[in-house]
Amino acid sequence: MNFWITALSTGVVLGTPLAYAAVGELIAERAGVVNLGVEGMMLIGAVVGFVVAIKTGSVTLAFIIGALAGGVLAAVHGVMTINLRTNQIVMGLTLTILGTGLSSYIGNNYGYQALSHTLTPVGIPLLDKIPWIGKIFFRHDFVVYLAPVVVVLIGLVITRTRYGLWLRATGESPAAADAAGVPVFLVRHVAVVLGGMLAGIGGAYLSVIYTRSWSDQMTAGRGWIAIALVIFASWRPLLILPGALLFGFIDALNFQLQAKGVSVPSQYLSMMPYVFTLVVLALVWTRQRRRNWGMPLALGNPYEREARS
Amino acid sequence: MTLPREARRRAPVRFERRSQMPWAMRLIVPVLAIVGGLGVGAVILLIGNHSVSGAYQAMWQASFGSSSGFDQTLVQAIPLVLTGLAVTVALRLHIWNIGGEGQMALGAIAAAFVAFHLQHASGPLLLLLMFAAGAAGAAAWALIAAIPRALVGLNEIITTLFLNYIGLLLLSGLINGPWKDPTVVGFAYSKPLPNQASLPTLGSSGVSIGLYISLGIALVIWWLLDRTRYGFSLRIVGGNVRAAEYLRLGVRRRIVLVLMLSGALAGLAGVIEATTQSGRLQEGLTNNYGYVGILVAFLARRQVIPTVIVALLFAGLLNGGDALQATGIPSSIAQIVQAIIIIFVLAGEAGGSYRLVRRGRPREPALAPVAGGSQ
Repeated sequence: MNFWITALSTGVVLGTPLAYAAVGELIAERAGVVNLGVEGMMLIGAVVGFVVAIKTGSVTLAFIIGALAGGVLAAVHGVMTINLRTNQIVMGLTLTILGTGLSSYIGNNYGYQALSHTLTPVGIPLLDKIPWIGKIFFRHDFVVYLAPVVVVLIGLVITRTRYGLWLRATGESPAAADAAGVPVFLVRHVAVVLGGMLAGIGGAYLSVIYTRSWSDQMTAGRGWIAIALVIFASWRPLLILPGALLFGFIDALNFQLQAKGVSVPSQYLSMMPYVFTLVVLALVWTRQRRRNWGMPLALGNPYEREARS
Repeated sequence: MTLPREARRRAPVRFERRSQMPWAMRLIVPVLAIVGGLGVGAVILLIGNHSVSGAYQAMWQASFGSSSGFDQTLVQAIPLVLTGLAVTVALRLHIWNIGGEGQMALGAIAAAFVAFHLQHASGPLLLLLMFAAGAAGAAAWALIAAIPRALVGLNEIITTLFLNYIGLLLLSGLINGPWKDPTVVGFAYSKPLPNQASLPTLGSSGVSIGLYISLGIALVIWWLLDRTRYGFSLRIVGGNVRAAEYLRLGVRRRIVLVLMLSGALAGLAGVIEATTQSGRLQEGLTNNYGYVGILVAFLARRQVIPTVIVALLFAGLLNGGDALQATGIPSSIAQIVQAIIIIFVLAGEAGGSYRLVRRGRPREPALAPVAGGSQ
């Protein structure tokens, strides 16, 4: 029993960076821009956040600067794909290479340092006394508690406000949105940069709170999992949360099994998020086709005022 | 585009779209991009208090500046040519095969499977069977993405991307599990492949005959894509699916076949890596060649011969970066320079598709695919 509670509780922790990064990618994709650079932006957030935490001792500052670093990298993607209309796939992959290289360069001398001071888990009064549930959900640090709040807030903004309508219109039909007076280019830029900032926060969580250290490519593919998660959640913000819990739990289960010395090859467990996503994708796609599945219609297409449509 | 309406009306010049970049510009853009990338890299090196000349000299020596370095560059160019061609072939149909990594892994797995089961076959026969199995295995892996793409239009970018991770983890699971070499501790190595299952090298250079194999394949692909009716039909499908359907060109069949061919090419890169490197399968066998191949193909504008040249340049850059490790300068600078060069090329191409036109001058109608109705 203890084994499962620890695995589930760690799953909540490991699901947190996934939730931040995935909801960020979701915002960009709902505006019609695919950013395959999530891994790179997370790495930059992780290394910058860690260096700031070491130098200043301030965790808050670490997260703020980490988020900004992710946002700056995302802004490069924005200018290239929105203004210059370069291919989003190629640019996203390039951004991952850039982020991996830059983060490794910046973190070159920080590999052997450990952060002595960081956020510690705080139990939520009363709730943390609930058997099992309390230990799984209510004895974590502040950033974990904030994740569902951020996701729900973003979900509400996307589905219930005028700005959310702008975002969705831009992602579905930029030409129609433009004709209706929506500042299409601005909306896309804001969405991409916000996405990068959230990826930066996800990365900073890993280095500043989870491992308290920096190592090259420490995100270990979580950026790609976040992209899978957006599709798994069929581009609906609220579905990010259960998805992040599931994928985080798979990650945690892997660690737990290895720690116990169980000889299940961890690779097969690590495959599961991708397999799940592919299976769900195939099932729903064949039934409903693109429209109902939730994929923004203009996803991946640069908008060009002068173009014939 | 971003200027306020008033300012746009008054500007004495305006940007106008043109359908083709001038020939000279196509040459200048990559050159400027390389110079710019190295320049930005130099600034980053200076910020980090590293020697710029030391770094670039070491990279040059290890990539193109010495014969042993050039041999190493050729070694890395072999898989890159193949993964680049894999993407080029699919791009002719406007299909993005992002799955080179996974297909390389499956190619290596299938080849190793054959080698482990035919330990005593003679060298040439075994190698031939390994290449066939690797191509077939990788083609089958690509088929998983190809069939839903052809039948229900499931986005191949998503499926091939995820199949990468599944394929790489499968490779990792095998070399940490059933194929693990029990005598090696600490590293994830498979059992060694039989001795005769390694590609012969050219003289003492360390470059395998994989070089000729990949160049030969490039020639065949060039002939297929640019010199045959089939290759021309692929252009029609890629250019206008509706027209292709009207011509009864068998769009679905072509999507499936081309993605399988694309997968097989990447798979051959995996086989060559498995049969030349350490004579066994190991973690990191694909070395991101699948992803770099996408960039190679894109920068080569879907053309076969330029793909080979760009692959060689990228191999030099990768190899130069590896060589930096010995000098104490972070080898990540090569990655940064590589990314910045690509960004500059992309930006240059975007800029090059416009020209400045003075107000009042009539446009050339034949060259301007601009819709008149934007204002």
